[in-house]
Amino acid sequence: MRRFEQMNPITTAFYYLCVLGVTMFSMQPVILCISLFSSVLCGVLDRSAGRRAHIFSAVLFIIAAVINPIAVHNGSTVLFYLNDRPFTLEAVVYGIAAACMITASLYWLRSLSKAMTSDKVMYIFGRFSPKTALIISMSIRYIGLFRLRWRKIQDSQRALGLYDDGNLIDAVRGRARVLSILITWTLENGIVTAESMEARGYGSMRRTSYSDYRIHTADVALTAVFTVLTAFTVAGLTNTSAVYYPDLRFSLFTPWGIVGAASFLVLCLLPPVINLRQYRTIRGARLA
Amino acid sequence: MAYLDIKDLSFIYPDCSDKAIDGVSLSIERGEFVVLMGATGSGKSTLLRLLKPELRLNGDICGEVLFDGEDMSDLTPEKSASQIGFVGQYPEEQIVTDKVWHELAFTLENLGADRDTIARRTAEISAFFDIDSWYRADTSSLSGGQKQLLSLASVMTADPGLLILDEPTAQLDPITAARFIDAVYRLNRETGITVIISEHRSEELLPRADRLLILEGGRVIADGSPRSVARELSSDSPYISYLTSAARIYKAGSNIGEPALSIREGQRYLSSFDNKIRSLPDACEHKPAEIALELKSVFFRYERDGADILSDLDLTVCRGEVFALLGSNGAGKSTAALVASGLRKPYSGKIRLFGKPLKDYKNGSLYKGNISLLPQDVESVFIRDTVGEELKGCEGVISTIPYDLTDLFDRHPYDISGGERQLVALCKALATQPQLIIMDEPSKGLDVNAKAQLADIVLVLKDREVTVLLISHDVEFAAMCADRCAMFSQGRIAACEPTERFLSGNRFYTTAASRITRGVYEGAYTVERALKLISLNGGKT
Repeated sequence: MRRFEQMNPITTAFYYLCVLGVTMFSMQPVILCISLFSSVLCGVLDRSAGRRAHIFSAVLFIIAAVINPIAVHNGSTVLFYLNDRPFTLEAVVYGIAAACMITASLYWLRSLSKAMTSDKVMYIFGRFSPKTALIISMSIRYIGLFRLRWRKIQDSQRALGLYDDGNLIDAVRGRARVLSILITWTLENGIVTAESMEARGYGSMRRTSYSDYRIHTADVALTAVFTVLTAFTVAGLTNTSAVYYPDLRFSLFTPWGIVGAASFLVLCLLPPVINLRQYRTIRGARLA
Repeated sequence: MAYLDIKDLSFIYPDCSDKAIDGVSLSIERGEFVVLMGATGSGKSTLLRLLKPELRLNGDICGEVLFDGEDMSDLTPEKSASQIGFVGQYPEEQIVTDKVWHELAFTLENLGADRDTIARRTAEISAFFDIDSWYRADTSSLSGGQKQLLSLASVMTADPGLLILDEPTAQLDPITAARFIDAVYRLNRETGITVIISEHRSEELLPRADRLLILEGGRVIADGSPRSVARELSSDSPYISYLTSAARIYKAGSNIGEPALSIREGQRYLSSFDNKIRSLPDACEHKPAEIALELKSVFFRYERDGADILSDLDLTVCRGEVFALLGSNGAGKSTAALVASGLRKPYSGKIRLFGKPLKDYKNGSLYKGNISLLPQDVESVFIRDTVGEELKGCEGVISTIPYDLTDLFDRHPYDISGGERQLVALCKALATQPQLIIMDEPSKGLDVNAKAQLADIVLVLKDREVTVLLISHDVEFAAMCADRCAMFSQGRIAACEPTERFLSGNRFYTTAASRITRGVYEGAYTVERALKLISLNGGKT
């Protein structure tokens, strides 16, 4: 078995679509807890979240959880009054749930951007529209190029004594000049790129889009598993209810609710499990 | 029938009365390796572009070009794209995509090839060009040499029969350029591909080429094997300087027997003299002068976790001298220029300009009359639409330069030749009357004559007591004008000596003339110096 990140990009993208979709569109506490726990676990394991990301997330969690009860005064259980405004239990719980949702989504997005490299995004677009894929690839290249040239122009202009940032007006004027040079330079060079494309047959025929990725049986099978698990989760969500205002009214552990939560837990933990299996196989190979 | 048949081809640019190409007739056989030379504006690029339908410029074309028996204008886009490969001068701009593997697949994708074909061809090509180790890299992370090699490789995936190269190594350092030319030569020998290349690097090309064409004013004025062209050129022809150092030494000397082309042949030719006098009387004394720029154990890196680009760099430039910092591309020379000019701060070490620490130059006074930098990409200097507007305020400087720029005043800075662009940018850099100017790769992309002209200007600056720090990979250029040379390697200076001793001391990183005369003469690091010695030893010059 390959690692989860080595699966076909469509499978990977579909996975994140499922997990993020469930996380972002449900305010059901059990699902959110599972999502938060697994997203942190995945983030740590795939190294998409480092120490700084954890600190940032913790701060964000606290802010999100605190802001809601300060701003929202709905709910019937008043805990105390703050500046003559009610501070309610319902708003506190809702705040925590929302904080869970936001934090979990961010962790999933970090994993997503780590797993979906530009090659993979290109592959997915290339299957639908080879031209779009090319535009994405060229854009990625140009962003880097712009940044590099901006720096070069700034240096040149500064060394010519033409770039002051002593006061605000000069600084703005200097940047405007850098931008103007950048645009001229890029447009002029764009001609060379366009010629290079044409010389290599761009536009002469229907383009194909090449990629190293293949679709394996495992990719299809995994996509099917994701679909089934997500379907169970959604079924679970529709058969449970979580009402926050005016009173907390949860009905979470219905039979479908339990099936849904279990399915979601399996879905969330699939990547680490798959990677663990691959890790073991490779370690075995080394010892043997 | 020849593979490529050019019959009485002429070309006129729109709004232009002169013919850019004037009655060129050529036939090139399959598998030939043809080198095209000529001054800037002689029509080399125009001619090469006429050989590929997509790159033909607007204008009037007369005559015909037959490619493999088919008229060029009837060629289908697919056949042109797959059969005629083209690689131009600019490494950065020719690359289209963000990944190396995608760039390799690009041509075949355009031709609608299926997955298996693309997989097979890219694998073959990456093995041939030894790209495997950077196959998955981002194209932006490549060096200039790798970028050019990638452009060549990506053109080769379509398996063309004709390869057209328009100054492909103009932007590369000599060693990378030699590697690129080796790859082209290997393709020619191993696959029989026909190659037409316009290039200034005669040392690597001429000993191997089948045929040399020299273009002047759109006409072919010399056509034949490099050896026969070398034999037939009259010894006062301006095109002598396009030949290899060995051929130039041969031409200025006896001019009998087979012309020498390669370094080895040059050495053999030299040994025909008795060579009793081994060195020139030393004219210039290096006198100790006031220190202009001093870097003391400077350390610099771009990222906190990155590697040191400058590590323990010591550098001293004296007032009024021309100092050349030499080294290969990517060694960190440009970074050294940025740090020395105060644009980047080292994390350790001291930099003093005219005895005063850089940071003591307050309120931008550093860049007003003290130090100036001519950047490598001169495009980053131009702001205006015409050269005239660009040079407003530089009148004082223009008069000091022994070259007339007024003809260019109405043109756009991007529409003038590389050499002229370099001069305009230099004028701008000198506008603040700096006492020290740092020039980053000023000779890049220039032909032999433009280089000589630039070297003259550097010497004029030196006469005016301007200190010049040259950052260059171009040893031949440094030999023309530098007082002292230093070899930059691994973030520091590996050797620093007066030019003569430096170039005779280096075995590999030195001029062709120095390699030819090694062991026979001392300090003959330019063709001119070698010729003087030959004449002292009884050779006719």
